[in-house]
Amino acid sequence: MRQIKKTLKLLRRSPYQALAAGLAMTLTFFVTSIFAILIIGGQIVLNYVEQRPQVIAFFKDDATETKINEIIAKVKATGLAKGVKYVTKEEALAIYRERNKNEPLLLESVSADFLPASIDISINKASDINAVTQVVREEPEVERVITPENLVEQLVKWTKTIRLGGAILVSALLSISFLIIIMVVGMRIALRRDEISIMNLVGATKWYIAKPFLIEGAIYGIVGASISTFLVYALLLTYSRPIQEFLGPIQVFPVNPLFFIYLWVGEALIASVVGICGAAIALYRYLKIK
Amino acid sequence: MIEFVSVTKKFPNGQIALDDLNLKIADGEFIFLVGPSGAGKTTLLRLITRETWPTAGQILFNGEDILKIPSSKIPLLRRKIGTVFQDFKLLLTRTIFENVAVPLEVLSRPDQAIKEEVAAVLEKVDLTQKADSFPVQISGGEVQRTAIARAIVSKPQILLADEPTGDLDPQTALSIVKILEKINEEDKTTIIMATHNSGIVNHFKKRVVFIKSGKIEGDEKEGKYEAD
Repeated sequence: MRQIKKTLKLLRRSPYQALAAGLAMTLTFFVTSIFAILIIGGQIVLNYVEQRPQVIAFFKDDATETKINEIIAKVKATGLAKGVKYVTKEEALAIYRERNKNEPLLLESVSADFLPASIDISINKASDINAVTQVVREEPEVERVITPENLVEQLVKWTKTIRLGGAILVSALLSISFLIIIMVVGMRIALRRDEISIMNLVGATKWYIAKPFLIEGAIYGIVGASISTFLVYALLLTYSRPIQEFLGPIQVFPVNPLFFIYLWVGEALIASVVGICGAAIALYRYLKIK
Repeated sequence: MIEFVSVTKKFPNGQIALDDLNLKIADGEFIFLVGPSGAGKTTLLRLITRETWPTAGQILFNGEDILKIPSSKIPLLRRKIGTVFQDFKLLLTRTIFENVAVPLEVLSRPDQAIKEEVAAVLEKVDLTQKADSFPVQISGGEVQRTAIARAIVSKPQILLADEPTGDLDPQTALSIVKILEKINEEDKTTIIMATHNSGIVNHFKKRVVFIKSGKIEGDEKEGKYEAD
């Protein structure tokens, strides 16, 4: 406890260096948090799209119920479909009405005859989309087949790009923070040269001398991670509505508060390790005691 | 007891600081280490704290060869030794109390014990009134007494004083050595004081070891010293 108090006192004595190191850590972990959220959000969107019916086949108006049932049986027989749901014209109208309940103009003079019957086929594996599409396309009663295959591909591509970009940016920022901590702790060691030499002569162990610097490194990390988590929390709270509106039916809000606790704990842990390692390298490099 | 056995210290530039030096210092002794500048006095003191390493020989402290002590155990050795420097080496941003408390903090003593022990030692060196002052706010003699207080607060077995009166006026210098004498008599702390102040040496009539060019040229009980 005495060592922590002592470290905080030393930080107060040269606040600008502490501020520089703290800000570098905050920026690093703020960007890390943003990328973490983008990656997790991307995964939620991807899961949502993957779990939706991946192939929708619309029938011609003259398609009979018997024929439709035959097609459903054919699809099921492939063994590739997780589920097949028949949507009648009336059900399609009900869905349409529900989706556009706030737009009276769009609801006027729309009857079930305007909308085709369809089957929503959810597929076990995204790679089987083509095969199932082929089966339904061959049927003369099928007028049109919609497949979100491209959307999934695009989403996977985007998620990968965000992951890669995030990893590169976060690594670069982590390296910069790491170097700043080495520099700041190195400067502090130089500033406390006399004190260190006196402590060394009165019998302080290397560990005793090094401890405040290691604590300092950990403090930079914990403070940086805490501020960044708070900023991200405030940002998400402020912009949750427009984000949710943008995502439409994909439900991401409210975010479970546990998520922010895990994020904070995880980042604080990583950040303090970075801080301690930075301080340790500075000590190894600059702390010369006999 | 400290014993130097055939100790030689040669610097990388070829200069010989100590040359086959043999010296025994018993527990509770007060020794003046005298000689001209560059004679090897400071090197001898630094060898005891293992700040430097001899080229040859053995240095025994309580029978143990300190050169064989692993680096990790050196702090334990240094806790048995107090050091007073000519340039004081006080921390200017700490109060007198805080400066004196440093060795006890290093020993991780509880706050209350630190308060009591520092107060006691400040009283011994007559600095109780200056406890909350900073080194720049007190006189040269008081600064040196602070350095002595810091050196003895952890009750070391030996006190090394390297020219502790170097920058002080004769009266203040005398009072400083009187404090060292008191510590030696009351606490039985071994005192090794390097000096070339002949007035002080001759006043106190203690054992005098005269070193010149790294060799012991004289070793007398109640000795005298005439500076060149």
